[in-house]
Amino acid sequence: MRFKCAELKEFQIVGKPLSKTNEKTPIYKMRIFAPDEVVAKSRFWYFLRQLKKVRKVNGEILRLTEVSEKSPTKIKNFGIWVRYDSRSGSHNMYREYRDVMTTGAVTQCYRDMAARHRARAHSIQIMKVAEVKASDCRRSTVQQMHNSKIKFPLPHRILKYNKKSIFVAERPSTMQ
Amino acid sequence: MLYQRYIEIGRVCYIRLGEHAGKTCVVVDMVDQKHLLVDGPMSGVPRSTIRLNQVAITDLKIAIPRGCKTNKVRVELTKADISTKFAKTSLSKKAEAKKDKAGLGDFERFKLRVAKTT
Repeated sequence: MRFKCAELKEFQIVGKPLSKTNEKTPIYKMRIFAPDEVVAKSRFWYFLRQLKKVRKVNGEILRLTEVSEKSPTKIKNFGIWVRYDSRSGSHNMYREYRDVMTTGAVTQCYRDMAARHRARAHSIQIMKVAEVKASDCRRSTVQQMHNSKIKFPLPHRILKYNKKSIFVAERPSTMQ
Repeated sequence: MLYQRYIEIGRVCYIRLGEHAGKTCVVVDMVDQKHLLVDGPMSGVPRSTIRLNQVAITDLKIAIPRGCKTNKVRVELTKADISTKFAKTSLSKKAEAKKDKAGLGDFERFKLRVAKTT
């Protein structure tokens, strides 16, 4: 499964197995994070097949809607419960990220898992994403931002140099 | 104090890169060590997240609570008269000079060259 470099989108997918006789079948709803609708539908069937005895051939998708962020200008702490396959086995993880949007946090999670554990997207399963209150956060990198009077300088700031000034007569100032 | 300028709530920043380059904004909250939530109601910057390296810190600062609404930011900006104060800063003047220089036509550049050599 190839994940594009842009941010993921959140989809709410509702599907159900088809019944040969006209009896009612259970309806299943999933929260899928994917770059587009096609991948979202694919992941929906992938998970549903693992959890229930339904296959894409024997089922139908009733609804696929993109979920937009309720408060895109409010910074939130997200707790993400992940299951991933490493080279030697399958593991569960709880990870925390700070972001403005749920999709941003999940995208961060995928990037982070790739960086820290070399886990590719196809081996990662997002089990649960939830907004966590500041007092309930467990990770220090997230907790360090929970300061109402937060402030920090930018010491020794190195900005991207333009190609004209690679060699200069005097050492450039890194004071912001 | 070794460091005069801090990234903090209420700090007025100048956006160097990106969609809103050249505008000023106020730090309203901090997402993490590399991202800020900024708002610039007077300069046309919508409330959004921005990367720290897109931004340059100015000496100006307003008093706002963390994560306050855009309206409050607007009120505090007008009260502190940030737009005139920013226009006096060297950063603003340099940005203006750069923009003027970029807007010169060929004849203007010739005249500038002549004026420099005499």
